[in-house]
Amino acid sequence: MRGKLRAIWPPILIAAIFLIAWQLLVVIQDLKPYLLPAPSLIFSTFTSSIDLMFSAAFYTGSTAFMGLVFGTFIGLVLALLAQRFGVVNNLITPLAAGLAAVPIIALTPILNNMFDITSRTPRVLITTIIVFFPVFVNVTKGLIQVRPVQLELMKSMNATPRTTLRVLRVPNAIPFFFTALKIAAPLSVIAALVAEYFGGPQTGLGSRIASAAANTAYGRAWAYVVASIITGLVFYLIVVMVEKWTTPWTGRSTTA
Amino acid sequence: MTQTAVVTSATPSRTSNASRRFKRGVISVLWALGGVAIAILMWELVKWVGTLVSLPFDSGDGTMPHVWTIVDAFSQPEVRGSDTTVLQAVVASAAHSLLIAAGGFIIGVSVGLLLAIIMQRFSFMERGLLPFVIASQTVPLIALAPLIVGIGNRISFGPVQWNTTYSVMFIAAYLAFFPLSVGALRGLHSPTPTSLELMRSYAATPRQMLFRLRFPSSLPYLVPALKVSAAAAIIGTVVAEISTGVKGGIGRLIIEYAREASSNPAKVYVAVLGALVLGLVAAGLVTALDLYLTRNLPKEGKA
Amino acid sequence: MSDSTAVNAKGIWKIFNEGQANEVTALQEVDLTVDQGEFISLIGPSGCGKSTLLRVIADLTDATKGELTVAGLSVHEARKQQRYGIAFQQAALFDWRTVRRNIELPLELAGWDKAKRKERALELLEMVQLSDFAEHRPWELSGGMQQRVAIARSLAVDPPLLLMDEPFGALDEMTRERMQNELLRIRLETGKSIIFVTHSIPEAVYLSDRVVVMSPRPGRITDVINVNLGDRNEDTRESEAFFESVTAVREALRGRTGNSGSSIRARVGEV
Repeated sequence: MRGKLRAIWPPILIAAIFLIAWQLLVVIQDLKPYLLPAPSLIFSTFTSSIDLMFSAAFYTGSTAFMGLVFGTFIGLVLALLAQRFGVVNNLITPLAAGLAAVPIIALTPILNNMFDITSRTPRVLITTIIVFFPVFVNVTKGLIQVRPVQLELMKSMNATPRTTLRVLRVPNAIPFFFTALKIAAPLSVIAALVAEYFGGPQTGLGSRIASAAANTAYGRAWAYVVASIITGLVFYLIVVMVEKWTTPWTGRSTTA
Repeated sequence: MTQTAVVTSATPSRTSNASRRFKRGVISVLWALGGVAIAILMWELVKWVGTLVSLPFDSGDGTMPHVWTIVDAFSQPEVRGSDTTVLQAVVASAAHSLLIAAGGFIIGVSVGLLLAIIMQRFSFMERGLLPFVIASQTVPLIALAPLIVGIGNRISFGPVQWNTTYSVMFIAAYLAFFPLSVGALRGLHSPTPTSLELMRSYAATPRQMLFRLRFPSSLPYLVPALKVSAAAAIIGTVVAEISTGVKGGIGRLIIEYAREASSNPAKVYVAVLGALVLGLVAAGLVTALDLYLTRNLPKEGKA
Repeated sequence: MSDSTAVNAKGIWKIFNEGQANEVTALQEVDLTVDQGEFISLIGPSGCGKSTLLRVIADLTDATKGELTVAGLSVHEARKQQRYGIAFQQAALFDWRTVRRNIELPLELAGWDKAKRKERALELLEMVQLSDFAEHRPWELSGGMQQRVAIARSLAVDPPLLLMDEPFGALDEMTRERMQNELLRIRLETGKSIIFVTHSIPEAVYLSDRVVVMSPRPGRITDVINVNLGDRNEDTRESEAFFESVTAVREALRGRTGNSGSSIRARVGEV
C-alpha cells in the first residue's frame, strides 16, 4: 500500500505543478488562446461539449479498432506463414524493418483516390497497414525465437512440427503478441486520427481538431486533443488489462 | 553444439565478424528487393484482374497507374514547360524535409538525453516524470500539429521571427524526444551492481561514473532508441507538413500532387515514393552512426 | 544385442562442418557400452564431445558414422518409442504451464488421457518431493526445485534410460550434493540406466559405476575408470576409496589432456 502511494504521488505532484504553472503563465502573461489556451479553458470546453467530444472520439476510435483488428489478424496469419516457410520470412522481415522507418501514413492520399474518400474505408486501410507491421515483426520473433534447449526437449519427445507449434511456439509468442499490441493499439488511434488530416468525412477527432484550429476556436481544438489523448490511453490500458488477465506468466521468466 | 562454439570463439576475428554482418545485410536487402518486385507484380496483377471483374476499389489507370507510367513520370517536367522534372522536385522537397527532420532530431535527442540524465540522477524526477514520458508514447501527440502551427508567424523571440518551419521542426523534435529519453534512461540504469561497486571502490565522482560507465554501457539501448527517434522525426515532419501545409517539404508536395491526381495520377506516387525513400535514407544514416558507435562492442551481446 | 544392453555405440564419429575450413571432429571413433541399470558419467574439459555424444545417443543430432543402438533399437526408433528421458543443464520448463502440467507434457504428446496424466504427474511429484508445488508456476521455484521438476518430467513416460546433460551444473554446491543423493535414491527406486554428463570429478565419482574420461580436439574417450563404492551415503564422500577414485579420474584427465597450453593444443590439432 505504501509502495503504491510512493509510486503515485510524484507524478500527481508534477502534473499539478505543471498545470498550475501553465495556468499562471497564461494568466500573468495574458497569452491569447491561439498561442496557448489556459488549462481551465480547455477543461471547461471539454466538459461543456462532452457529447461532441464523445462522438468524435467514438468515430475515430471505431476506425482505429477496425484497423487494429484487421491489421492484427493479417499480421498473425503472415507470422504463422513466416515461421513455417522461410521464404515468406525472408521476403517480409527486411521489408518490415525498412518500412518501420518510413512515413507509411503518406500512402493515405493514394488510398483516398483508390477508394471512396467519403467512406471510412481508406482510413481503416491505412490503419490496418500501420498496425500490421509491429504485429507481424513481434509475433514472428516470438514464434521463431524459442530457446534451443526447449526445441531439443520437444525433439527428444518426438514431437511433430505441428505439435511443437501448438505446445511451444504459440505460447512462447503470446508475450511478444502483447508487446506488439501495446505498440499497435495506440498507433492505430494515431493512424486513424492523422488519416483524417488528408480530407474525407469531417466526423473524427483529427478533422475536428483541424477545423476548430482553422476557425480559431482554440479552446475547442485543445479539448479535442485531450479527447484524443484519452482515446489513445483507453486503447493502451485495455491491452494492458487483457494481458494481465490472460498471461500471468509474462514479465517473469524461468532462468535456470 | 558446444564444440563448434568453442572453436569459433577461440579465434575471434573482428574482420570476419564485420564481413559476415555485412554479408547478412546485403542478403536481406536482396530479399527486400525481391519483396518489392513481388509487390510490383501484384500491383499489375490487381490492375489486370480489375479489367476482368469489378473490384471494390478503382483499379483504373486514373488512380492506379501502371508501374511504367509512374517510372515515366520521374522525368516529366513538374509543370508544363518547366525545366525541373518531377523527380528533381521530389528530391528537392525530400531534402528540405530531411533537413527539418534532422534539426528536430538533434533538438529532440539533446533534450531527451538531458532529461534522461536528470531522471537517472534524481529518483524523484524519475518517479514523477517517467509515467508521463511512457504515457506520452501511447498518446496521439501528433494531434497537436495543427495547433502548434497556429503559433507560427505570431511570435518572435528577440530578433528571431518564429515561422511555420520552426513549428514543423518543433513537432519533429517533440516526437523524437520521447523514445530517446526512455531508451537512454534504461541504458543509464543498465550497468550491473558489480560495475557500480567497482567504480565506487575507485572513489569515482558522479561525473566519472556517468562518462566512464553509464554512457558507454547505455550504447546498446541508445542506438535502437536513436533509430526509433529518427523514424519519429521523419514521420513527425511529414505529417506536420501535411497537416499544416507548410511549403517546401515533401508532405506539402504529396498533398499538391494528390490534388492533381485527376490530370496526372502518376505524380503523387513519385512523391509518396520520395517520402518512403526519405525514411530509408534517415534510417541508413542512423545505421551508419550505429556501426560507428558500436564498433567496439560484441555483435551478439546485450539486447 | 542382448536386452541387458541399454546403449551400444561402436566407432562413432561426429564431424561438424565436414569438408569446410572450420571442420571440427567432435567425436572420433567412440566405443561405449552401457548395461541395463548402469550409471555412467561422461567427464572431460569443454569441447571434448561429451554433450555431443549424449545428443547423438538421444538422436538430437546425427552421428557422421558408426553404429549405435539404444535398448536394441536404432536411435531414431528409440526416440520415437520414447525409450529415454532427457534432462538438460537448464530445466527448460515452460513458464506458461504449471509444474504439474510441465511434467505431463511428454505424456500429453504420447497421447495419454487427462486423468491418467494427472495421476502419473502427481506420483512423480511425490517421488521428487514437490507434491506441494503441483499447481505453482516454474518461476516460483528455486533452481534446485526446477531441476527436480525437469527430472520428474524426464521420468514421466517411465523410460528405461535417462540422459542427463550437466543437470546440476547451475546449482550451488550444497544443493548439488542434495540433488545427487536424490538422484541416487530415484535410481535405486526405478532401476534406470543413466548417462550423466558432468564437469565435476567428485560428482562423477559419487554417482557412477563407471566414469568415462574424454579428451578434446578431437573428442574421444581416453579412459574408463571403474568406481566401486557400494551403497552411497554422506560418509562415502569422505571415505578413502572415494578419494582414490577421484584421484584416479583426475590423473586420467590430466594425463591425456596435458596442461591446456596453446602449443599442446596446436600439436593435437595437427594430428
